[in-house]
Amino acid sequence: MDKKIKVYALSTCPYCKRTKRFLDEHKVPYEHTDVDLLDDDEQEVVLSEIERLTGKRAFPVVLIEAEVIVGHDEERLRKVLGL
Amino acid sequence: MTPDTARVYCPVCQAKFRFVEGWGEGDEAVCPICGQKLRLRSGADGWVGARVAPMTEKEIRYRAENFAKVRGYHFSDVKEDVIEGLVGKQRRFGDFYCPCRMLHTPEYQCPCKPTRGGDVDREGRCHCGFFWK
Repeated sequence: MDKKIKVYALSTCPYCKRTKRFLDEHKVPYEHTDVDLLDDDEQEVVLSEIERLTGKRAFPVVLIEAEVIVGHDEERLRKVLGL
Repeated sequence: MTPDTARVYCPVCQAKFRFVEGWGEGDEAVCPICGQKLRLRSGADGWVGARVAPMTEKEIRYRAENFAKVRGYHFSDVKEDVIEGLVGKQRRFGDFYCPCRMLHTPEYQCPCKPTRGGDVDREGRCHCGFFWK
């Protein structure tokens, strides 16, 4: 897997956990940030970026190069990742 | 004598519900709007409900079960994960806010204002996938 993958999540969100678990189970490497655990200043920067990318502040957000997946969506993850 | 128009203030949903004849100081009641268990006390501004077992897992479980029962909603297989998330929110942000949002204001205490306002009936589920139609 050579695609660069970034996951924005909340540490308390069950669907974020499912998305990370799905990627782990398929041995897909990814970077992740638990937005709620960031310092206030950094958190606002990241939230603004998420809003810019998705038009809202919903989680999880998975960035797979140009693809943006909002919410836990195994079907789209499979399709985009070719699983 | 309590007039028929008496109301009880719920500190969770920040709304007032009808006082039932026969209730008295120290009695327990359940808020019909959010499901919170309250202990009644009479104050200068009328009846106020104090949260029973505040900030405990027991409190949020009881509230969620009551809310679902009153509205006729059910839970999905993420129920326990959502409870864990709610408890995490309480520990980190001071109350049982929606675990899937970054909003920590009273209207986003579970069940949040959009959910109390009928989101589940319209969308089939609440934002966090906790309550389902």
